[in-house]
Amino acid sequence: MKLSQTLLFLALGASTLPAQTPASEAPQKKRAPAAEGSAAPQQVVQSNSLVRVNATSQPYSLHLPWQKESPSGRRGLGVVLAGNRVLVTAQMVADATYIELELPDKGQKIPAKVVAVDYEANLALLEATSDKQKTFFAGLKPMAVDVSTRIGDNVDILQTGRVGELIKSELKIGKVLTRHYNVEGSGFLVYEANNIVRSEANSFTLPVVKGGKLVGLLLSYDSKNQVTTILPAPIIEHFLKDVADGSYEGFPSLGMELQATLDEQFREFLGLKPDAPGVLISMIMKGGSAEKAGMKKGDILVAINGFAIDSRGDYRDPQFGALSSSHLVRGRAYVGDKVEIKVIRDGKEVTLNGELTRRKPDDYLVLPYLFDKGPRYVLMGGLLFQELSRPYLDAFGEERRGGAILRLAHVASHPEQYEEEGRKKLVFLSLVLPTPSAQGYDKLGGQVVNKVNGRTIHDLNDLAEAFKSSKDNMHVIELNDFPHVLYLDTFNAERDNMSLLGGAYRIGSLKRLE
Amino acid sequence: MNTRPLLPLLALALLPCALSAQPAPPPAPATQAIDVTSGAWEGIVNIDVSVLVPDYREPWNAGQPSGGSGTGFLIGKNRFLTNAHVVSNATRILIRTTNDPEPHPARIVHIAHDCDLALIEAEDAKHFEKLKPLDFGGIPQLNTEVIAIGYPIGGDRISVTRGVVSRIDFRPYSHTSVDSHLAIQVDAAINPGNSGGPVMQEGKVVGVAFQGFSGRVAQNVGYMIPVPVIKRFLKDIEDGRYDHYVDLAASDFPIENAAQAKALGTASDGVGVMVGDVEPQGSVADILKIGDVILSIDDNPVMNNGLVRFEGELMDMNEIVERKFAGDTIKLKYLRAGKKLEATVTLKRFDPYVRLGAQYNQRPRYIVNAGLVFQPLDRNLMDAHQMRDDTVNYVFDNFLTDKLYVERPEPVVLTNVLPDEVNTWITPYAHSVVDEINGVKIKSLKDVETALAKKDKPFIEIVLLEKNRPVVLKRDLAEAAHKRIMQTYNILEDSYLGDE
Repeated sequence: MKLSQTLLFLALGASTLPAQTPASEAPQKKRAPAAEGSAAPQQVVQSNSLVRVNATSQPYSLHLPWQKESPSGRRGLGVVLAGNRVLVTAQMVADATYIELELPDKGQKIPAKVVAVDYEANLALLEATSDKQKTFFAGLKPMAVDVSTRIGDNVDILQTGRVGELIKSELKIGKVLTRHYNVEGSGFLVYEANNIVRSEANSFTLPVVKGGKLVGLLLSYDSKNQVTTILPAPIIEHFLKDVADGSYEGFPSLGMELQATLDEQFREFLGLKPDAPGVLISMIMKGGSAEKAGMKKGDILVAINGFAIDSRGDYRDPQFGALSSSHLVRGRAYVGDKVEIKVIRDGKEVTLNGELTRRKPDDYLVLPYLFDKGPRYVLMGGLLFQELSRPYLDAFGEERRGGAILRLAHVASHPEQYEEEGRKKLVFLSLVLPTPSAQGYDKLGGQVVNKVNGRTIHDLNDLAEAFKSSKDNMHVIELNDFPHVLYLDTFNAERDNMSLLGGAYRIGSLKRLE
Repeated sequence: MNTRPLLPLLALALLPCALSAQPAPPPAPATQAIDVTSGAWEGIVNIDVSVLVPDYREPWNAGQPSGGSGTGFLIGKNRFLTNAHVVSNATRILIRTTNDPEPHPARIVHIAHDCDLALIEAEDAKHFEKLKPLDFGGIPQLNTEVIAIGYPIGGDRISVTRGVVSRIDFRPYSHTSVDSHLAIQVDAAINPGNSGGPVMQEGKVVGVAFQGFSGRVAQNVGYMIPVPVIKRFLKDIEDGRYDHYVDLAASDFPIENAAQAKALGTASDGVGVMVGDVEPQGSVADILKIGDVILSIDDNPVMNNGLVRFEGELMDMNEIVERKFAGDTIKLKYLRAGKKLEATVTLKRFDPYVRLGAQYNQRPRYIVNAGLVFQPLDRNLMDAHQMRDDTVNYVFDNFLTDKLYVERPEPVVLTNVLPDEVNTWITPYAHSVVDEINGVKIKSLKDVETALAKKDKPFIEIVLLEKNRPVVLKRDLAEAAHKRIMQTYNILEDSYLGDE
């Protein structure tokens, strides 16, 4: 449940989230004098490049995957781009059931849809779906993207007041680093700034501008430490360019893990000279760009695309200074680009050439994130089978992570052995509904499925197929854990399936395999 | 009793209803006043204990001095029975009778942590020569009256509380937290200090009061260790040594499902429980297989939920194994692929589960080398350190379930790095499971010593489990730093590997 975690970060305006309706009279009276009385009065100007974005989000239930959780609303400010498109963070529209755009001053509303989204880069592009879009966008002007921001620059976070007046909070960019956004995984470029950000009604997605141009989108604001993180323009530009060419590829990665070599004794152990640059490659992901380029575990990485890598794993970026080498690939290159890697192997420098790829979420044994789609499942006679995903594991709090969940979490962190077995996904028995055919099994849950009716299970499709071929009217389900084997009567399981459909558990379908 | 935690409480939950169906026995005789000066209870003594709680964070330190008080009672010539938890980690034991305030130093003769019982003796037997030992009764019936006698909180002199037998069940014993045996629930108040004291019926001991719930959890629920468990302990130590409980080391899974019963070929008479897991180092490792159906143990038919009718009561089938001793045999009848088979099982102790429970009367074992602290992974260690590391938690939590003990009987954790110039880059690697040192696979703390003694290379190379880079120290630098670190951090001995 990454989303709810990020919600906590976005402390500003979080409490006003449910209030979808325009502010009522009472708070307005309160707010107006406060604004006038403040030391530096807010500039009352309208913006003609921003629209309010209101989205209703409704994720699927991870534990009862045939149903959805309760819907909730999110409000943010989108940036108008060329072609009447609106840029927001992906978080803003994740699991959206309804999205609308609203003119900040006039209050005119128009429904919208997502035309491109990247949950790793946390960016989404929206388009109005109504034929009124021409009039809606008539008074709006696209905002240009400015990638030239440097450390020390002053920028403004924009918010709009009740009648669309622009509220600016000035920030100074203090640091540039890489961090993962709102899904776990590799790091992306981030600007960090310190200052107080006013709390207004629109909390998800706020534009950050400099001189009328877009330099980033607000990622998080920690009100306690007054730290703001910003999704920066170079990543936005990368996303927009990728979208513009018609097929979206996403952000590439090398697929490897590196270890700093600052420790002198470790350097000597690795045979590195005291002042030589480079980091140890400690892991190469299967099927990733690094592996395809011929990188090996134990190599010392010294350069990527001509940029020297120091013993921290940083390179010297001409714009930002020392920065994680991951940005050389993810931020500064595209899927399909050539990459030149220099490593030291057995004391000799070796130049490797490869092509950058991206590991798609579906390439992982354990799905790293899941939005907009329901979790895949198969229900048989009350036994619920699912494919393990990060969101499923994260839905269990830290305290509840003993036993089966801890075992599954360990698989998620160390999938290699299961991948080598040829598994594409990790199918497990997640829950047992109390049916006559599953009598005696109702305390089970968390067991990995190895075989069903003799067939090895690599993913849920295998499982669904395997259930079609039972012998002697009996399904035999082999598990990796206690009690290792379960039996279901084919006929009774089917009868229970029928009574589950539309029964007390409100199950509309016995499986979701799309 | 490793098999208990593996199994949901499902099978156990069935037991109480079966028992409550028993006809209520006739009411107990009317209560009677007791003259404490008469000598009948003179053998029930207060045990005052000074304790040193070992420090698993700084294992070279003495630990935390503390103290407590419990009850014990004379069962033979200078032999007092009490709970193991009363005298665990004791540095001094004093016993007092209710009519004589004189403290008498005592010592442990035998201690059995797995069933929370201990036998102690006075250093000078003379004072207790005239006291009358208490006699044992049997298993009391439900709804019959019992009294608990001891020295609980609320005063200094002997105390009596009264109640009835509420339930007879197989229960976890909280002293180790991993052992389960027969326990009898009573509603007589059992409070701190009652521990080790007798629970009596008609002048005979029917149990040793030993645990209960706090009033915030449940009302009037106290437990006593019943006579079969006590007798087993006393029999075990007859040869002068306590040999611990033995185990089948297999987990059973109830056969409640019709398809399952059909597939396993069990008859419709409700006899037979499925084998859900078999420990590869346990008593039945070479006999039972997953999917077998246990039909009977020593000719007692096993029901589909793992219960047997034993001594007139429905009990967990493990109760039959419980009464046996290391080297004893049991007769198993079982079904494999529809064929009836029979085997004689020689019972033995199953060790790996011991480290999952609390352990006592042990000095923490450790090795410090150049500020790197190595300790064996067990419950005591987990309780002392707040282990955040996923691998450490996984290895501990799944030590049995994933059979990790086979490859690594005693996992070793790098628990701490005492910062010094020599190891400053290694400090983030504290709380890691050690896989290899200098090419030696680490299966126990002893292996760490052996591996560190290998001096053929200029580096000490430590491979940590599921960390993708080794941790290395230059041997000459590490050796030079070792003494300095020992002095700075006030460590007198750089290792303790146990007395052997």
